[in-house]
Amino acid sequence: MSYPNKPSRPAAPRRRFTRRKGCRFCGDKTLKIDYKEIRTLRYFISERGKIVPRRISGNCANHQRKITEAIKRARNIALLPFTSGHSAD
Amino acid sequence: MRTYETIYIVHPELVGDGYQAIVEKFKGILGDLKANILKVDEWGTRKLAYPVKKQQRGTYVLMAYEAAADAIAELERRMRIDENVIKFQTVLLENGYQESASEAGVVESSEEESEEETEENE
Repeated sequence: MSYPNKPSRPAAPRRRFTRRKGCRFCGDKTLKIDYKEIRTLRYFISERGKIVPRRISGNCANHQRKITEAIKRARNIALLPFTSGHSAD
Repeated sequence: MRTYETIYIVHPELVGDGYQAIVEKFKGILGDLKANILKVDEWGTRKLAYPVKKQQRGTYVLMAYEAAADAIAELERRMRIDENVIKFQTVLLENGYQESASEAGVVESSEEESEEETEENE
């Protein structure tokens, strides 16, 4: 039952999103949250189209709320997907 | 008077004069409702994130304007009637209208609309 190649310490936790310390919108006051700027918002949705939680995105509560609202508005007007499943051919 | 922003998607198969007529029509409706149009931005045809009315693509038009609150209801009622408008959304701009540096739609807009983007940049 022993694997010779297995490292001694347990595997590092999976990091699907690059973790950054602190809220990027608090750090850079010039960044605006807008539902039309999907390039900024894409960073805060997962591959399945879900909103990335605050503990992973690192946003402060205030900005996470604004991001959430912007993503929902963008979804409403078909700029962002609700889910990855409905991209029919 | 408050500042609003309406974004609507025109049917992708409507091009040329028919499309211009739609844009002019809603500009005219805003004028009739005594709205002060701040900006009309045509993003061009782009892919939708999900199909709307069985269409994979759509032509986005963004209008920013100052209008009374009851004008919104009338504008949206007219948009619902028009079959060429497949989706629309009105947002209240709480901080007033601000010229945004980069519009997301411009980058991914398709080839046939490329000359339309420059006329809005001052």
